[in-house]
Amino acid sequence: MGLVVKDRIRAKLKTDDTNVRVLLAHPMHTGRAKNEAEELIPAEFIQDIRCWRNGEEVLTIKCGTATAKNPYFSFQLVGGQQGDKISIRWVDNLGAKGTVETIVK
Amino acid sequence: MIDKLDQQRRTFVKGAISASTMALVATSGLLLPKRLLAHWPTDAFTAETLEDALLALLGQAEIANDSALKFKVGAPPSYAVNGASVPIEIQSDLPNIERIAVLVEKNPLPLVMNLEMTPAVKLPFKSMIKIREDSNVMAIIRADGKLYKTTRFVEVDIGGCG
Repeated sequence: MGLVVKDRIRAKLKTDDTNVRVLLAHPMHTGRAKNEAEELIPAEFIQDIRCWRNGEEVLTIKCGTATAKNPYFSFQLVGGQQGDKISIRWVDNLGAKGTVETIVK
Repeated sequence: MIDKLDQQRRTFVKGAISASTMALVATSGLLLPKRLLAHWPTDAFTAETLEDALLALLGQAEIANDSALKFKVGAPPSYAVNGASVPIEIQSDLPNIERIAVLVEKNPLPLVMNLEMTPAVKLPFKSMIKIREDSNVMAIIRADGKLYKTTRFVEVDIGGCG
C-alpha cells in the first residue's frame, strides 16, 4: 500500500507498575471535513484498539470519530517486569489494521 | 523487452489478486462495516445526543455524580486553544473498574471513546480528543457495577470537529 507505518509504543517500568504510551499514525477523518476542492473527506477512523501483555489481553479501547488525529494513549499496567512483551493491534472502519509491539524496559 | 514482459506480468498478477480478493470480500458480506466489527457498539457511537449515547452504551442515562473520579480536560485545565487535540486525563482510586467512557456534550457524535478494562490495567489514563465548541466533557466509570460521572466544562478557541 506504500504507507509508511509510524506507530510507536513505549513501555517502561515505574516503581511497581508498567507505564505504556502508544502513538498511532492515523488521519482519523471524521467524515465532516472538506478538502481543498470542497469535497467531503470520507470517514476513516480507528474503531478498535486492543492491548496484550505476554499474550494475555488486558485492555480494549473503542474509539469514535472524536479521538484526535494520530491518537495518543497512556495507561498503567499493574505489576510487570522487564522483558514483558506488550503488543497493540488496531482496526479502523475501513478494515485497515496495524500491529506494534515492544519490550518493557 | 524482458522488462516490459515482466511489468505486464506483474500488472496481471496484481489485477488477478485484487479481483479475486474483492470477489471474496463482496460475497462474504465483509464490506458492511457492521459485520466487519460486530463488537463495535455502533448504536452508541452514532448516537447524536448525549442521552441516546448513554442509553445505547450503558442502558441508562441517569448516573450519580461522584468526586471519586478525577478528570482533567485541556491544558491548562478547562481551556484548549485547538479543539482538534485536547488532552484528557482520567484518574480514580475506585477498585474493580470495568469500563470508562468519555463523552463531549456538544460534539456531533458525543461518544468519544469507550475503554474495557481488565484488573491488569490501572489509571491514570491519558489521551487526546476532538471538541467542536465550548462544551461539557464527561467521564463515566463503571466500577463494581456502579456508575460514577464527572463533568468538566471546556472552552475551545478553534473548533476541532471539522
